[in-house]
Amino acid sequence: MSEKKGKHIAIYGKGGIGKSTTTSNISAVLAESGYRVIQVGCDPKSDSTTILRGGNDLPTVLDTLREQSKVKLEDISAVGFGGVLCIEAGGPVPGVGCAGRGINAAVELLQDLKVFEEYKPDFVLYDVLGDVVCGGFAVPIRDGIAERAFVVTSSDFMAVFAANNLFKAINKYAPSGGARLGGVIANSIQAPHSRPLIDDFARQAGVPVIGYVPRSMTVAQSELYGKTVIEALPGSEQADVYRNLAKYIDESHDSVIPKALNGPELKKWARSWGDRIFEAETGVVQNMESI
Amino acid sequence: MSHSIDGSRNSCALHGALQLIEAIDGVVPVVHSNSGCGFQHFLGVNRASGSGVACGSPPVSSSNVTEKHVVFGGSSRLREQLKNTVKVVDGDLYFIVSGCSTEMVGDDIPAMAKEGRDQSFPVVFANTPGFRGGVHHGYQLAARALIDQLPELRTTHPGTPGKLVNIWGIVPRQDPFWAGNLEEIGRLLEGIGVEPNLLVGNGQDSSAWHRVPQAALNLALSFWGEAPAERLAELYGTPSLVFGELPVGSNSGNLLRAVGEQLGFDPERTETFIQAEEIRLHRHLAALADTYFRAGFQREFVLVGERAQAAGIGTFLVRTLGLIPRGFVITDDLPDGQRELLPHAFGDIIREFGARLFFSEDRAEIAEIVRELKPGLVLGSALEEGVAREIGAPFLKLSFPLGDRIVLDRACAGYRGAATLIEDIGSALLAGSR
Repeated sequence: MSEKKGKHIAIYGKGGIGKSTTTSNISAVLAESGYRVIQVGCDPKSDSTTILRGGNDLPTVLDTLREQSKVKLEDISAVGFGGVLCIEAGGPVPGVGCAGRGINAAVELLQDLKVFEEYKPDFVLYDVLGDVVCGGFAVPIRDGIAERAFVVTSSDFMAVFAANNLFKAINKYAPSGGARLGGVIANSIQAPHSRPLIDDFARQAGVPVIGYVPRSMTVAQSELYGKTVIEALPGSEQADVYRNLAKYIDESHDSVIPKALNGPELKKWARSWGDRIFEAETGVVQNMESI
Repeated sequence: MSHSIDGSRNSCALHGALQLIEAIDGVVPVVHSNSGCGFQHFLGVNRASGSGVACGSPPVSSSNVTEKHVVFGGSSRLREQLKNTVKVVDGDLYFIVSGCSTEMVGDDIPAMAKEGRDQSFPVVFANTPGFRGGVHHGYQLAARALIDQLPELRTTHPGTPGKLVNIWGIVPRQDPFWAGNLEEIGRLLEGIGVEPNLLVGNGQDSSAWHRVPQAALNLALSFWGEAPAERLAELYGTPSLVFGELPVGSNSGNLLRAVGEQLGFDPERTETFIQAEEIRLHRHLAALADTYFRAGFQREFVLVGERAQAAGIGTFLVRTLGLIPRGFVITDDLPDGQRELLPHAFGDIIREFGARLFFSEDRAEIAEIVRELKPGLVLGSALEEGVAREIGAPFLKLSFPLGDRIVLDRACAGYRGAATLIEDIGSALLAGSR
């Protein structure tokens, strides 16, 4: 790898959890700070970079690869807010083909095209469908691609479950040179139990929570305009939340190999939280806690 | 513990399916896989099996999928390949078989076969990725596909009630003598009044397969023939007879007796036929007597082959020809629990002579066994030729791969097969004693 390749960061999270919104806002902040940024959407839905591009169409890497034998960077990229170079890996229609292999093929093509050597980014952000259902979705965290991964999760159990699966994948690849975990980004923080639940999960796994993104109408509103919060409402509190996240990713180099919970451990942990939330809602007070 | 296999002689499920399909006249295989799969079948199986393949490049239609089809799905490529195939190859039946990559991706192969049928083309399919099993399992998968899907295509042909017998378990090319063996077994069965349904080889076509449900009996001549017989029992209640070994020489008489009894034939008629065959065989043995002692036939031997072959040929060599078994190496990949189940006569031989029994498909391991046992005669595949030469033992190629031996309709099964087997072994011993 050349010196100019920049920091490669993979951001994982369960589908629909807000990782594309989070990633795009982080990209926007980094671009706003003067960095050269590439954001690569690694999800067959190919909507990772939509809010960086004002909702305009962008042919995906794989669609282009299917149509033409020789692919150029201009064919598969668009410059979005703040100069962020936006790329969507794309994939097959649902239920057909192999999306995992698609991600593999798309990342290989970007390397073949020497995108990173030529564009000389300071940051490359991979926004990856986080269920890590097969080897293909783990490509960005394998040796030689991203050096750090972050996971976006809400306090919903399925999101935590997906995050735990990512921890398992990191456990597998990190010892042979794959990415390590930078931390957890807690998203859609709304209910009173959200923050302590994610904190507790992170503590169990031995990983830091690098920021808490509250559920906010600002985000929904900006997305309706086809923009990031940074572009649409740069003075908002929510924009500052993303700025802090980006600052952490920029300045901190800490990373860990997480301790993934096994099936029974995760179930036991979830059940304990189920009890706590139920008790909170029915007014049970334990150990003199006031919730 | 996992280990590598040196020079394996067992190919993959896709190849096993192709071997069955290619042995049925008028059935056109369509491979839905990478280009290497069909080509490897041509180079690694057809060319090494001792007998005919059409001249030139591998004559198999293949979708030759690439990464594009893996990512986006290869069903449409298969549709295109099927359309093109029916245009250029006139067949009675088109048979789609799939390889690893298209199965991993989950291409909807049944739907493509159905599309073909909806357009009035006779199309069947079998999911045959190599990761499902080896060559023998591929034979079973393709046979099952034909058993299950053919009745949807056409009304079945009438058979002769009570006399039709389907023969299962001889995998074309994996038994290099498959065509001759089936023909000889068919001749013997006809001799007692059976109408044998050979299913593959020498002019057998899809009509033979359409008659399968009408059979009065399914005869399994190896473990690999048991699954089709069981399936037919489920579907049509057809009784089956598991013989489990290749009938060679006098053991063929036992097979005929068992079949005759199952079908309620007149035992006297069966016995008359068997005796005529026995007399013929004994005449050959009498004619051989001088050479037998001169060339020193009575040697210790090691036989490397599939279980049905080793049991059938081994029993004949010991019980009829008086050779002494040093060891047997069984090379087909039998499932757990099957290895211990040896045909009785074969088990008796092993116990009586203290012959060693091994299960291996590894060339180096088998060579080591042969070296250690140091027999006076080696019977095996081309992969054993080197070690036989090394220990200075006469050698006869009997099992897959044959490499440089041509086999068209030569048999080693039945009474006539026993005679050619004696010829071949005798020639090898005489050549070795020069």
